Amino acid sequence: MATITTETGRAESLATAPAPALKREYPGALVVVEGIDGSGKSTQLYLLKRWLEIGGYRIHFTEWNSSPLVKSATRRGKQRRLLTPTTFSLLHAADFADRCERQIMPLLHGGYLVLADRYIYTAFARDAARGCSPHWLRNLYSFAPTPDITFYFRAPLDVAVNRIVAGRPKLKYYEAGMDLGISLDRAESFRIFQERILNNYDAMVDSDNFVLMDGTVRVNKLQKLMRQIVGERISLQQFAPKKR
Amino acid sequence: MKRGEKSVPKAKAPKAAAARKKKGKAAAAELPSRFYGSPLPGVKPEELSGTLVVIEGTDGSGRSTQISLLTEWLESEGFAVQTMGLRRSYLVGEDIDGLLAENTVTRMTLALMYSTDFFDQLERRILPALRSGLIVLADRYIFTLIARAAVRGIGRDYLHGIYETSLRPDLTFWLNVRPEIAFDREFKKSQTISYWESGRDMSLSNDLFQSFIRYQSMIKREFEYLSKRHGFIEMDGESSVADVNRILRTRIASHLGIRSTHYTPSHALTHLWR
Repeated sequence: MATITTETGRAESLATAPAPALKREYPGALVVVEGIDGSGKSTQLYLLKRWLEIGGYRIHFTEWNSSPLVKSATRRGKQRRLLTPTTFSLLHAADFADRCERQIMPLLHGGYLVLADRYIYTAFARDAARGCSPHWLRNLYSFAPTPDITFYFRAPLDVAVNRIVAGRPKLKYYEAGMDLGISLDRAESFRIFQERILNNYDAMVDSDNFVLMDGTVRVNKLQKLMRQIVGERISLQQFAPKKR
Repeated sequence: MKRGEKSVPKAKAPKAAAARKKKGKAAAAELPSRFYGSPLPGVKPEELSGTLVVIEGTDGSGRSTQISLLTEWLESEGFAVQTMGLRRSYLVGEDIDGLLAENTVTRMTLALMYSTDFFDQLERRILPALRSGLIVLADRYIFTLIARAAVRGIGRDYLHGIYETSLRPDLTFWLNVRPEIAFDREFKKSQTISYWESGRDMSLSNDLFQSFIRYQSMIKREFEYLSKRHGFIEMDGESSVADVNRILRTRIASHLGIRSTHYTPSHALTHLWR
């Protein structure tokens, strides 16, 4: 049975969590990418976006944690290290709600293909690793539309962690999961935190219909596969530029 | 005023917590606990020796006046008091003020910003105060937040789900006033009626008075439901300040085991005692 590893290490069954309602009363479509830092998901979504943009399709790209609404609060909370697992989670939910209500939903109703870099599964995986109850998290995000495709980019922990650590002089406090008090060493803490998140993602593969993508495959080869899957599962014709 | 104290007496709290641990989730539903659902991550309910008293009611119901008076009375009786209220968190209090001023925020976002504000105060101020044995006087609590979001079409179960990790008050008083009376009091105070308190985002009426009455009536219906569900002590908010205060003191005194409920406001507060 699929389980989620919480901060205390106890396993809670995902089966008890309410399944997100399938709300497809709109002509648009939603494609999301998920995965831990360094899994290659953003690169792949960027390439997918470029392909669709160049083809003239009606698309919109949206990113996790990008609404200007909660920016100052997030900065304040992070600088002073005031965020608890609950307030960290709620701030991100408010950010998501703002994008959902003002961009994602209106665009889906308006017949757009919406591409999201990270979605609610980021909150399920990461906030549960921080100690929030999976059941509470599922309820919190139950207003979110269910994606048409969820690509889960999976790279081995070492590969992903090395990609991130190599590119950054210093890992940030919350990014490294230092608030969990796992280890005083940031790199070590980051690794353990990412491992918990990875396990939580793995547990959702079946229950949330993830399309598993091997993040170690060469970039262009993986992109070819991604474009093929999008073409098969979504009728791109409806988002194509109208011929006059 | 039919129901008294629904909460577990403090001495029993550790026992209840232990039993819940043993029996798991099923037991939590049967036993009245200090939390509605599972407690917040990292919180031990048995450590909370203080008392949480909530005063709910619409603007113009006399909440703030009563809280000032109760604070003075409790302090004169030797109890330390901490207060909380809406939009008072360090984390997002000012951000919400900004959102409200702009009127462009959508309902779910606002509901979640308010919940962030609530939990920041709960975790950073209220729980530490309760651990130190203080009396917390809450100028509104989750019930106002639930009622406001519910009248805007957000599901009650969804809202209760968000707040299931919050602390169950020891006493919840509801100062109930008719919308017409609340309108008179608010208008007298500020010479106008606020955009949000009249529910103008809901397009109920172009007339401010009609909009206020309709909105406050909807809120009141939500409170009637919440009152039954959570065992509020309902009070007539249209009675005199002195009468409402006397009943509040009597209820709180009996909960805390204070013998005397005698109180005369100090010179600084006599202006409230009308």
